[in-house]
Amino acid sequence: MAPYLSMGEAHRRIADYLSRVADSISSSDGAALASLLAVSSAPPSTPLSDALSAFPDFPRLAADRYPHLSDLLPTLLRAIHSHSLIRFADAYSSFEKAANAFLQEFRNWETPWAMEAMHTVALEIRLLAEKADRELATSGKNPDKLQAAGSFLMKVFGALAVKGPKRIGALYVTCQLFKIYFRLGTVHLCRSVIRSIETARNFDFEDFPVKDKVTYMYYTGRLEVFNENFLVADQKLTYALMHCNPQYEANLRRILKFLVPVKLSIGVLPRITLLERYNLLEYADVVTSLKRGDLRLLRQALERHEDQFLKSGVYLVLEKLELQVYQRLVKKIHIIQRQKEPAKAHQIKLEVVVKALKWLEIDMDVDEVECIMACLIYKNLIKGYFAHKSKVLVLSKQDPFPKLNGKPV
Amino acid sequence: MASHGAGAAAGSDAAPAEVSVVGQTNPSLYLPRTSAHHSWPSSTGAATVSWNYPLDNQSQDAIYYDPQRDVSVPGSNENVASSAPHNVQPSMDTENATHFHVPYSSSLQHGYSPAEYANYYYNYPQTTNDSSVQQGGANQHSGAAHQPLTSFQNSGSYVGPTSNTYYNAGGHQTAPGYGTSSYFYQNNTWNGGSSENSYTQTQSYQNYQSSNTNAVQHSVSVPTNSFLYQQQYNQWPHYYNHTVPNPAGDPVGNSNTVANTTSSYSCPSIQPPPPGTTSWKSNSSSSVAPPIQASGAREPQNQYNNQAVQTHTPVLENHYVNQEPGNPRSQNHYASQTPACPQNNVNLNPVQQSNNGDQQKTVFVTPETSNENKVQVPRIAPGFSMVIPKSEKKILGADLAKKPTYVSVLMLKNGTDARSLPFSLRNYATRNFNHCKDEAQRAACQSMIEEIKNKAIADGTLLTKNWDTEPLLPLLGSVATIKETSSANNSSPSVPSSTFTHRRRLKTRWEPVVEDKVMDKVEPIKGFANGNTHSNLEAKNIMSNSWDSRKVLQSHQAPAIKVSQRRAKKQKMSSYSGLMQNGNASSDSDKDQDLTKYYASATALANSPEEKKRREHRSKRFEKNLNSSSKSKNSAASKDAIANVHARKAVSALLTRSCEDGTSLAVEDMDWDALTVKGTCQEIEKQYLRLTSAPDPATVRPEHVLEKALSMVETSQKNYLYKCDQLKSIRQDLTVQRIQDELTVKVYETHARLAMQAGDLPEYNQCQSQLKRLYIEGIKGCYFEFSAYNLLCVMLHSNNKRDLLSSLASLSKEAKQNEAVKHALAVHSAVSSGNYVQFFKLYKQAPNLNSCLMDLYVERMRFEAVKCMSKSYRPTVPVGYVGEILGFLRTNSEASEECEIWLKAHGAILSVDNSGDLQLDTKASAATLYMPEPENAVAHGDASLAVNDFLART
Repeated sequence: MAPYLSMGEAHRRIADYLSRVADSISSSDGAALASLLAVSSAPPSTPLSDALSAFPDFPRLAADRYPHLSDLLPTLLRAIHSHSLIRFADAYSSFEKAANAFLQEFRNWETPWAMEAMHTVALEIRLLAEKADRELATSGKNPDKLQAAGSFLMKVFGALAVKGPKRIGALYVTCQLFKIYFRLGTVHLCRSVIRSIETARNFDFEDFPVKDKVTYMYYTGRLEVFNENFLVADQKLTYALMHCNPQYEANLRRILKFLVPVKLSIGVLPRITLLERYNLLEYADVVTSLKRGDLRLLRQALERHEDQFLKSGVYLVLEKLELQVYQRLVKKIHIIQRQKEPAKAHQIKLEVVVKALKWLEIDMDVDEVECIMACLIYKNLIKGYFAHKSKVLVLSKQDPFPKLNGKPV
Repeated sequence: MASHGAGAAAGSDAAPAEVSVVGQTNPSLYLPRTSAHHSWPSSTGAATVSWNYPLDNQSQDAIYYDPQRDVSVPGSNENVASSAPHNVQPSMDTENATHFHVPYSSSLQHGYSPAEYANYYYNYPQTTNDSSVQQGGANQHSGAAHQPLTSFQNSGSYVGPTSNTYYNAGGHQTAPGYGTSSYFYQNNTWNGGSSENSYTQTQSYQNYQSSNTNAVQHSVSVPTNSFLYQQQYNQWPHYYNHTVPNPAGDPVGNSNTVANTTSSYSCPSIQPPPPGTTSWKSNSSSSVAPPIQASGAREPQNQYNNQAVQTHTPVLENHYVNQEPGNPRSQNHYASQTPACPQNNVNLNPVQQSNNGDQQKTVFVTPETSNENKVQVPRIAPGFSMVIPKSEKKILGADLAKKPTYVSVLMLKNGTDARSLPFSLRNYATRNFNHCKDEAQRAACQSMIEEIKNKAIADGTLLTKNWDTEPLLPLLGSVATIKETSSANNSSPSVPSSTFTHRRRLKTRWEPVVEDKVMDKVEPIKGFANGNTHSNLEAKNIMSNSWDSRKVLQSHQAPAIKVSQRRAKKQKMSSYSGLMQNGNASSDSDKDQDLTKYYASATALANSPEEKKRREHRSKRFEKNLNSSSKSKNSAASKDAIANVHARKAVSALLTRSCEDGTSLAVEDMDWDALTVKGTCQEIEKQYLRLTSAPDPATVRPEHVLEKALSMVETSQKNYLYKCDQLKSIRQDLTVQRIQDELTVKVYETHARLAMQAGDLPEYNQCQSQLKRLYIEGIKGCYFEFSAYNLLCVMLHSNNKRDLLSSLASLSKEAKQNEAVKHALAVHSAVSSGNYVQFFKLYKQAPNLNSCLMDLYVERMRFEAVKCMSKSYRPTVPVGYVGEILGFLRTNSEASEECEIWLKAHGAILSVDNSGDLQLDTKASAATLYMPEPENAVAHGDASLAVNDFLART
């Protein structure tokens, strides 16, 4: 419990906080203001929150003392108070009001001095909304705060994504929106924001802050993974990886989590050490299976990590690696055969492949294997043709197993 | 004042005495009164209502016109009217004549003449019908009550209405939609108030013991009222607007009724007591109005227009006040009934009513009470007694008045109510009585006070209100009073019932009350409850009407209201709590100041030019409507039909309105239970028709019929289009009744299967999405089967990888063990790796209807496969082999034949090899393959809309 506070002391602390907010606004000190607006990171008991508990009439104090900020300050104090009482839904509601008031003020400020504060508000409202939703969900209520935060941030985005100096802050808000949309599973809502960012001619994407660019590329890369647009996804995720601060290993891991499957699908295999370093060992078996042509291992790996892969959304990508594994298998057969009987090195009998698959305990009949061979040829994983009559796969003499070289299957 | 504590008889005696004493003092207070209306929304409202009724009777035809009035009041009038029309119509329809008035209740006629307008407002009537019917049921319980009806011309019709009731009920249910919840609340409050009364007064009574609970509830419900009220208000305008355009002119009818009340009201007050009149005028803002009105009362018919225009203001104000409390309707009823309630002991009219009730409903009323009442009546208001009894009898026949009477009588019996009244209220009553010039006025005044009091009880403000500062009531002409009583009787039916119904209300609101009524002869309460439900709705309507018209006024008046509320609060804090227990007098200080304040605000309102303009406009509108309505006198049957239609329209309008309002009532806060229809249709077969209005219970099938319908569809030999149509109508019926159980799942499953078999993917998707939801809610069904379908559908027919991912992720371990789901997963892997051989193997082995969904993908898969083959095979592939692995018929010869046709259709080049086998020339084909346009393609993309099929449809 908070120690006893005299009314006077509580009053003094609140007044102090209020004056600091007001001063930072009047002196256009964005950093100071931003630190004052951080609600969700505060510990349960701070000098200010204790004061608010001890002085319940704080909204009036705030409104009376700074009438020009009467929309902002009382609600902000209320949000801080509710947050300190672990009433996150209430805190969110109050903070949203305060944020709206702040946005209103922010629109009127011509210079972007308060950008940092605006970003803090954007971050805070998302964090508070997540807390509030957890709270609402556990109490059986409808967790809709994050959605509300999303629509508030859209407003912020509208205020920022305009011509002028404020635009530089737009990407940060975009990233907060991405985080919300990904969490809510409403990624289709990202599209309009992306369009607005990418079609702007008067603002070069490179002018945005690096951290925002990395985040943005990470999320848009993920979106491309969903769309199985592997080339673009590779490009974006690689950008994110290259520009990400190497000290933030967690972020690197996040990026790699998607970049590895994307790279796999275009035929680029990572070193196992990379997977080890970033703790991405769920991909280790997949990589091994690709190297060995071990279909069974691939299927086992997929099954073992199915939930994880489904959740992150890379399952379908990894599933498509099967054809590459077949290719690897046929290639191995071809290599062995070349050693055994070089004369017939380019003619692989279907029954051999069937037998190889049998050894892998994969039960496929001749027709199915034939079909797979046809598919491999069809998808340019094997150069050659299949002779149905003799059930022989005839490989091209030149480069029978072309590398993907960055092209997806 | 002491008399309050005394028995009912004593009270009644005392009342006259009080009147005489107080009458002299009052004149000065007159002005304040009007303003007072503003200030006390609730109490005044009740008073106003009662006034209206009397007035109606008097003016009968003439006064119909106050548009504004009508807005608020119409509900009640209509209700009355509607109930009356249903029963009585055959004889009465053509004539609105005054003559009838006497025999029936005057209010009845009003409603009923308006009823002919048959338009929009019919909703109300319908509602009313319901209530009336229900009440009838209630009456039956009592036994005695019903008989009068039989004696009446309508008796026959009474039974008939049942079907109507259903119908109406349906309309009702849908219409109020949003409003319903608020309704209830109001009722609760109201009931609570009434229950309180009954509670205190008639604890001994068997039926009413339940009311105790009500009283308890009362406190809770009160706060809600105002809130809900506003919502209603919002909704109303919509409704109102809708009505206005109607040529039939229902609104007019309503307005007329209302207008009548107002005008008549004003007339009496004006003529007899000049001082009082003047004050009133000022309020109303039209100085000319009073005289006109007065004349109107005498020559009712002429005054239509004049009154409408001029009278507006007063009415408006009053109403406004009424509405604020949110119980206008209830007030009306209440008022009519209240008279019977002896709380004040001043009942002149009430007594008469109760007497009537006694006469007819011997069961309820004890002989003693009835005697008392009778005695009192002549004494107090000799003039009335002659007229009223007759009318009441008739009315009772109509069942409307019965319940109220009954309640009131009981109350009288105990006579304990007076004790519970605050001293200041008694004071206030006394003041009003003193102000009265003659017996008639006193009687009117008394009834008004009763209403006010009841209202206050209902609102829970009885003890908190500063009665000392309430303005005095306007005086009435004696004629008006008579009318009032009679009308009150008519209108009142629902009120009493509400008292008892609380508990049931939540359930009964929309449910088919009729069943209850008919079934439970033992439980009269039930019947009442039903009646209440309906009446509640009506009340709401009324309220909302008034609100609408007064939007402008509201803002003006708001301050006044605020003031009054504040004061009330203060008093609560201080003196009144003490009053309750000790029965001490409250302080009279500040009274004058407040009164003047109120008065000033009221006048300002009434006089504002915009308001005048509005009123004029409105009155014109109603004139038009009236004219058209006179043309539209139809048979009762057609009226009903129209009414239903309109009711539903109105409901939907209400719904949309409330949707738009959004702020007032969030969707999730809505009481959907209240809106749920309960079907009564017994037809097994029903064509699907997309609803454009609220559903009509008469065309909605209840669950057991739907079961039959489903099995009929399942066994039917007819084509898919017929079955689809039938299933859609079943789904619709389930939806409007909000039935969500295994039957629902079964219906959707059946439909989904049929749709799959017919390749109707859109319909299947609808079913699937519903099923998903239903399964999540834990309703049993073929969950695994349909998760397999869902998987197949997502993977084969949508290109959304995220959907597929989430579908895959949502599969449970058990689901993955299910054969059908396993099959679907295998199909997925076959498709993702392009393994057409496996795909067609799975196609042949498909469990359930998985093959149906795969069917739709077969063409694409085959084409892919042939493309693949023509690229990878060299030099040729036997067509027989292709046919085999691509899932053409099982036997090789047929398969190759069919495959040949298919290949040729897709541009493949075939050749015959040395052995005579047909071969696919892969190299040549690779360049020539194409996807042919589907032969049965239809321009609009929906084969089920193909002309031939459409015409063949039975």
